[in-house]
Amino acid sequence: MSVKVEVIEGGTPHNTILITGLLGTLVCLYLTYLNVLTNTEMFAFFGGLAAIIALIWGSHTIKVLCSYGIGTGVPSAGMIAFGSGVIAMLFATRFGILAPIVALVLAAVIGFILGYISNNILNMKIPAMVQALTEMAAVGALSLMGFAALITGGFTFEGLTTGTVSMLGMTISSNQISFIGGGLIAVAFLLGAIAIQHPFNATLGPGWKQDRMLMLTAECGFLSMIVAAVMSFALISAGSAILSLIIAIAGWAYTYNQYIDLSKRDAAAWLDAKPIPDTEGH
Amino acid sequence: MEQIVFGIGITALTGALATIAGSAEDTESNIGSQGDPNSQVQLAPQMGFVHRIFNKAVAGEPPAYGLWCALGAGLAWAFMAMQVNAVLAIVLGCVLAVFVQGVYATTAYLGRTASLAKFGQPVYVDVLKSMTSVTMAHAFIAIFSTVTLCHLINGALGHPFPLPLLGLIWGIALGAAGSATGNPYYGKERQYQNQKFGAGVPISASGNIVRYAEAGERNSLDNGFFTHKIGGSASGVCFGLIVFLEIWRTILFEQISAGWGAIIVGILMILIFTVIDRYIEVWARKNYGPYTEAKVAS
Repeated sequence: MSVKVEVIEGGTPHNTILITGLLGTLVCLYLTYLNVLTNTEMFAFFGGLAAIIALIWGSHTIKVLCSYGIGTGVPSAGMIAFGSGVIAMLFATRFGILAPIVALVLAAVIGFILGYISNNILNMKIPAMVQALTEMAAVGALSLMGFAALITGGFTFEGLTTGTVSMLGMTISSNQISFIGGGLIAVAFLLGAIAIQHPFNATLGPGWKQDRMLMLTAECGFLSMIVAAVMSFALISAGSAILSLIIAIAGWAYTYNQYIDLSKRDAAAWLDAKPIPDTEGH
Repeated sequence: MEQIVFGIGITALTGALATIAGSAEDTESNIGSQGDPNSQVQLAPQMGFVHRIFNKAVAGEPPAYGLWCALGAGLAWAFMAMQVNAVLAIVLGCVLAVFVQGVYATTAYLGRTASLAKFGQPVYVDVLKSMTSVTMAHAFIAIFSTVTLCHLINGALGHPFPLPLLGLIWGIALGAAGSATGNPYYGKERQYQNQKFGAGVPISASGNIVRYAEAGERNSLDNGFFTHKIGGSASGVCFGLIVFLEIWRTILFEQISAGWGAIIVGILMILIFTVIDRYIEVWARKNYGPYTEAKVAS
């Protein structure tokens, strides 16, 4: 059996995905600001879309980075993306409408420093390391902000730390029932960190295909959006949460079906209750 | 005094829940070939050994269980914030978390297998259907037990962390316990029953995992059935002890010198366990290892 393992080429170039992902994420994040302008929470679902676009960009960055042997598993890349991104995201929420831009810049700086340390001080010497860690920190910060906007309807610090609790017909403001005070940020962190690393981790191998991986990222993003939308029922109005949930379920069903079709296309065979086929030599 | 007795009761309950969670977690991950045994399942077709083992590589067990438990806890928290009864909220949260786990499992199997097309590894739809549902069932037990013990720690013992954060911490601990305790039994013994006992995995045998069962071809349900006997129980005892001893020392010794009592007892326990572990390791090497026999042979 002759086996030729090669780096897969073709498909959309990484820089196109980077620019599209960055612009798409920022536009969607700013569209959630319509909530403030129109004084509703109906536009919270744009936060989920922002997170999905950022994840698509980020999963392709992981593919670029992990094509080199980085010495750790792929999931670690997702953890460092969100670990460095969460610092920038939390700090940036203090800046009101400027928050997405501040998060992007600050995350890029943090990612750059981490990349420099890995490559030059720890001597990992991986060519794509600095750029990839810079991109991934930005992806982590922006997708966390997207999840925050999806669950709470906004991305300002006040919105993320205060919520209302209704007791005996009275509505009291509380820090406990909020995105940060309730610890939902921990859930958003892991939802994003697993969703960003899973697509490449699950499709790696000699038969890797770009369209299949990116479709899987969209599927993971919409799946995360479904559960985040369910959690948002606690913090935003039921109508807005239902809107997010419907969009998430529709997107997930479509991308999941597409992904199964793409897997069928690429698989060696699609068998149901059949024995192991005979192979040469064994 | 009543406070301490109440605390000890809750401690025993959390320990029991953790034992169930650890056992179910290890069996779930073994059926899915998650964690480090996954590398051999992934490698086998590349060495020409096409198999019918489920290959569910979502992430290492600690991050994966960190997500499932944090998600179950986060959803339960959200339902409780909507004034849903706590028991119902935890069940609903865990059901949704298991749905996410199941979807991740299917996409992982399809993706990994489709990328191995070059080596002739087919996608088995029956494997996907039967294994995914069994892993989901085990995952539900593991997640539900963990989220419940987090709720007990938060609600009954008054831990200051919110439920989702506790879910994250104990979920990662659960995955780590199952991964460290249960995996060697599956990865080193079950997959390599055709090699000499205790010999490790020689390079020449890499990927040559056992693919045929007592009757017919081995699938991952056989592996789950086998590893649950010892690997699963050991993982359960491991995670149960972690949770029990952790809360036990906090309840009993927290009042001594402003919390330092609990820390000192914790350090003492680590030292005692280090001595026990070292003793068992040396004893096992002496009795079972091939290390001394190799010298005699040469």
